Amino acid sequence: MKIKSLKLREAHKGSANASFCSILWDLNAHHLVTASSSEPSISIHDPLLPSNPPRVLRHHRDGVTALALSPNSTCLSSGSIDHSVKLYKFPGGEFETNITRFTLPIRALAFNKSGSMLAAAGDDEGIKLINTIDGSIARVLKGHRGPVTGLAFDPNGEYLASIDSIGTVIYWELQSGRTLYTLKGVAPDTGSDTSILNVLSWSPDGETLAVPGLKNDIVMYDRDTAEKLFTLRGDHTQPICFMSWSPNGKYMATSSLDKQILIWDVNRKQDIDRQKFDDRICCMAWKPIGNALAVIDVMGKYGVWESVVPSSMKSPTEDIPSSRSKNSNGLLFFDEEDEEDQELSMSGSLSDLGEDSHGESEPPSRKRLRKQSVIDDDQHEDVYNELNLCTKTEYRKKVHRINKESSDKERDGSRSMMTFRPKMQEAFQPGSTPPQPGKRNFLCYNMLGSITTIKHDEYSHIEIDFHDTSTGPRVPPMTDYYGFTMASLNENGSVFANPCKGEKNMSTLMYRPFSSWANNSEWYMRFEGEEVKAVALGGTWVAAVTSLNFLRIYTDGGLQKHILSLNGPVVTAAGFKDELAIVTHISDCLPSNEQMLEFRIFNISKGTQPFKGHLPLTPGSYLTWFGFTEEGQLSSYDSKGVLRVFTSQYGGNWLPLFSASKERKSGENYWVVGLNVSKLFCIVCKNPDSFPQVLPKPVLTLLNLSFPLASSDLGEEALENEFMLNNLHLSQIQKRIEVMADEGLDTTPLDDEAFDIEAAQDRCIFRLIASCCNGDKLVRATELVKLLSVEKSVRGAIQLATALKLPILAERFNNILEERLQSKTEVLKTSLPRSKHDRNVKADVAASMALTATERSEISEPTFSSSSAKLSAPLLIKKVKSSDRVKFGKPKTDGDQTACLEDSREVNDAGKNAGPSQVKNLQTQRPSNPFLKLPNNQEEKKVEEVMSESQSQGPSNPFFKSSNKVREATGIQQSHRPSNPFLKSTAK
Amino acid sequence: MAGQSDPHISLFSAEEVEFMAEDELIEIVPNMRMDPLNFICGDFGPFLPQIATQVPMWLAVALKKRGKCAIRPPLWMSVENLTKVLEGERDSQGAFQVLPFHYVEISRLLFDHARDDIPDMYMVRSLIEDIRDVRVHKVETSLEKFSGTSAVKIPNLSAMEVNIIRPFVGRALQAFYKHDNPEKIPDVDRASSGQTRVANNEPRRPLRR
Repeated sequence: MKIKSLKLREAHKGSANASFCSILWDLNAHHLVTASSSEPSISIHDPLLPSNPPRVLRHHRDGVTALALSPNSTCLSSGSIDHSVKLYKFPGGEFETNITRFTLPIRALAFNKSGSMLAAAGDDEGIKLINTIDGSIARVLKGHRGPVTGLAFDPNGEYLASIDSIGTVIYWELQSGRTLYTLKGVAPDTGSDTSILNVLSWSPDGETLAVPGLKNDIVMYDRDTAEKLFTLRGDHTQPICFMSWSPNGKYMATSSLDKQILIWDVNRKQDIDRQKFDDRICCMAWKPIGNALAVIDVMGKYGVWESVVPSSMKSPTEDIPSSRSKNSNGLLFFDEEDEEDQELSMSGSLSDLGEDSHGESEPPSRKRLRKQSVIDDDQHEDVYNELNLCTKTEYRKKVHRINKESSDKERDGSRSMMTFRPKMQEAFQPGSTPPQPGKRNFLCYNMLGSITTIKHDEYSHIEIDFHDTSTGPRVPPMTDYYGFTMASLNENGSVFANPCKGEKNMSTLMYRPFSSWANNSEWYMRFEGEEVKAVALGGTWVAAVTSLNFLRIYTDGGLQKHILSLNGPVVTAAGFKDELAIVTHISDCLPSNEQMLEFRIFNISKGTQPFKGHLPLTPGSYLTWFGFTEEGQLSSYDSKGVLRVFTSQYGGNWLPLFSASKERKSGENYWVVGLNVSKLFCIVCKNPDSFPQVLPKPVLTLLNLSFPLASSDLGEEALENEFMLNNLHLSQIQKRIEVMADEGLDTTPLDDEAFDIEAAQDRCIFRLIASCCNGDKLVRATELVKLLSVEKSVRGAIQLATALKLPILAERFNNILEERLQSKTEVLKTSLPRSKHDRNVKADVAASMALTATERSEISEPTFSSSSAKLSAPLLIKKVKSSDRVKFGKPKTDGDQTACLEDSREVNDAGKNAGPSQVKNLQTQRPSNPFLKLPNNQEEKKVEEVMSESQSQGPSNPFFKSSNKVREATGIQQSHRPSNPFLKSTAK
Repeated sequence: MAGQSDPHISLFSAEEVEFMAEDELIEIVPNMRMDPLNFICGDFGPFLPQIATQVPMWLAVALKKRGKCAIRPPLWMSVENLTKVLEGERDSQGAFQVLPFHYVEISRLLFDHARDDIPDMYMVRSLIEDIRDVRVHKVETSLEKFSGTSAVKIPNLSAMEVNIIRPFVGRALQAFYKHDNPEKIPDVDRASSGQTRVANNEPRRPLRR
């Protein structure tokens, strides 16, 4: 090892004490700048003519502790013990401005890559990020407990690393100003000696951060994870006080308290040269062009060490990574010819968030304004992308790349736009999570199962799991050569699609049935010049929406069945049995950042579009989940945590049925998977996660649905909520019964369900009445009584009012009851002509069953609607009618018994189908009218009175017979039911 | 000590205590769909895939054996909590940390049948064994000190621990009683074989808290 001595030349005199000195090269190696903390002057030397007196800048009133040169060398900044940070023009050295002031001495300065931002720190507690354009403080980063002695901007512009004198290193995220990692005690504690400053430095490619270690070594930390990568350990016998990367990042110079400088080959982790000095070297700088290192010691003597790296090895300036290329242009001294470069560097980075708020405040020229706004636009989009795509620090790497790409792509488009605008939301698959490097992510997660993928080298590995392992088909895992990013799953099969990636990799759609009688029944579709954006799966069809706004519908066998043009770019799609729902953008977002979305429901098998309309979202939010409830209601969930369910009430509307903000316990996010009538199934994610990981297997949590009710003076939100939900269910079920009855299907189970809900609703109303009575809300109580569907409940309400000593109320309740009884008789009258139809029906029953069913239901419709419209208990009418049967049915049976019995089976069915209302009402009325089992004389008599008017026609009216028969049939049929659901419900 | 060295005197065998512990409820995540089960001890379910539900331990184990569910280890069975408990046990000489009455049995059942559902299983296992050892040791040292009383009160003792010391404590207390009332000696002696058995049976009841 050659020992040669390097002659140092005095630059700063100052005191005899050791003091921290700084040295810098400018971009072209024409100048060398030095400063000492014991002297207020800054010297600009000419390295070619060292004997010439330097240009001296005397603007500080005390020692200069820190120097920084903007990357394009047009601006010099200095920090001093006199608490000020000054800017100068370079190389002229004209004083520009006092850009900021601290309350304690400055210790470190750093420019970011574009030169638009200066970070300054010192013995004060915060690191100031300063816009160099106008001197505004973009941010103050607080987190260090000791004086900050080293600052380094990540060359890629995402992070700032800082180190303090007690050895703590902090990674800051520039965009948010958050602390990403805090590494405590990783560097030596330099104590109160201000001539030793802990420093740190990013490698020129930005992938590693070098920090002095505790064992007289240099420790390299990873850019994104802050994990320790490796150390450079060698012949230093004391802690390292300064280090400097060679411009290409292959070498590193370190100086230690043992007065040595070592030159390292970083890749081989070996020292290649060393130099010993008389005094400690406190600062070094690699010559940007050529093979030389400028050094300065604590006594203020500087020198240039030529040919540092042996000529046999690569030059320290060979293969300089692009991120440190010269395209960065200090914004402060704006250079006209470099504008393209500047845009490149600016839009590629996220670092300059501060400019969003401050950048335009004092533009020096019109031209600048234009440029600035372009840049801002890019950045906003980047930020938005980031919001959309990334919520966790782990994906930073990924996001970083994506942003670069997207900003590259968008640059052309955005250049023409002057103003900031919110971005239209990207297409997504419901139940998918963003890809994470090295981990599985969900392509699809629904109530049935999940599709997960993980990238191995070139190919992905896809697994399909069903939650229900006992009944779900077992699907072997598959290797995915296409790189699928979208998938959908139902019980019959799965569909996959990938976006196009360049020329070679075209967008492909693949369908894979789980069981098929034919071999090899999976199929592929390739799209040229078109890209699949969303896929959905239904009972017997597959749908894909593409970038050309085509909706393509295939059969599950792969037949291309329909191609429809959609109105706008797709957001998402969901399928359920026959129904396909698609959300598209209708227009650009509103300036208030509201997505303008439209949904359409298609019925694939019928080829109809039952509904289309606006998809409402909470202002400022975007759609995060879209799908069907287990019963087939369309529903959506937005990023503000509001769940909406589509109802056909009021001509098709969305009801807000859940709000995460009401439910949320602190620090929880709900990732919706599905819902049924009363519960929301979701995966609870602890903040800051907004989506679940594949492992450990997520567990579904059930949450109750609730309307966002205003807090009423009654204080019974729970009951009111139940009341509204019951109403909703009832209307849903009735609609389904109608649909099923139309199709001639058996509605009995639905009838049972409807009846159960009605009973529950009565209980709920009854409790509400009770609380209304207690809360002195008498008008509301009477309204509620009108809504009771069972007569018995009304009587209960009367009793309640009496018990609570509210005679006026009891009186009103009584009136309501009487009204009902009256209206029932009226309805009965109107129902008489109807029995004529019944008779016809009966005749028809013998001929054709199905026909009868539909006809009957048609006939029974008017009665039902009229009674329900009046809100008066329809059951009472039924009661009369049925007791009527008891009366007249019996004598008639003598003659008609056989016919009756024969028909009963058929009519039975007819009656069942006839109309939900009738059957239902019969049921409700039954408990209060137990005639079925023991014909009750009392009951009969009572009914007789009520019936007196209509009776005159009654006996002589042959129609009664038929209608009676139908009734009886239904009655019999009911009595056959194994369990009487009312037993439970009336127990209350 | 007395109870441990001579397991035959224990009122219940370890298996019996475990059997009783199987009535404790635990959360499972089924991977099959099943209607609610109606038992004498209550209704459990419905079972929906990936939705957690509470079932008795025995049912959880039975389902687990058939691969129909994953058992979610109870909250107290986390490494953090157990470390805290162990520290607490070591720090305080007299008092016992609050743990489920059947913690020994539950953890044993889970280790036997649901090892894949417990994160850091070996850590948890060694922690629980440590806790158990510390507690048993504490019980025994505290029993050394007890003297002429008619009752012993040790809060937060678990089923297994009680089971170990019960015969000894019962007989010891009886002995104290005998010595305190010398005139009753003959009665007690006569009844000792038959009636103490009956008397001993009574503590069965307070076993479930």
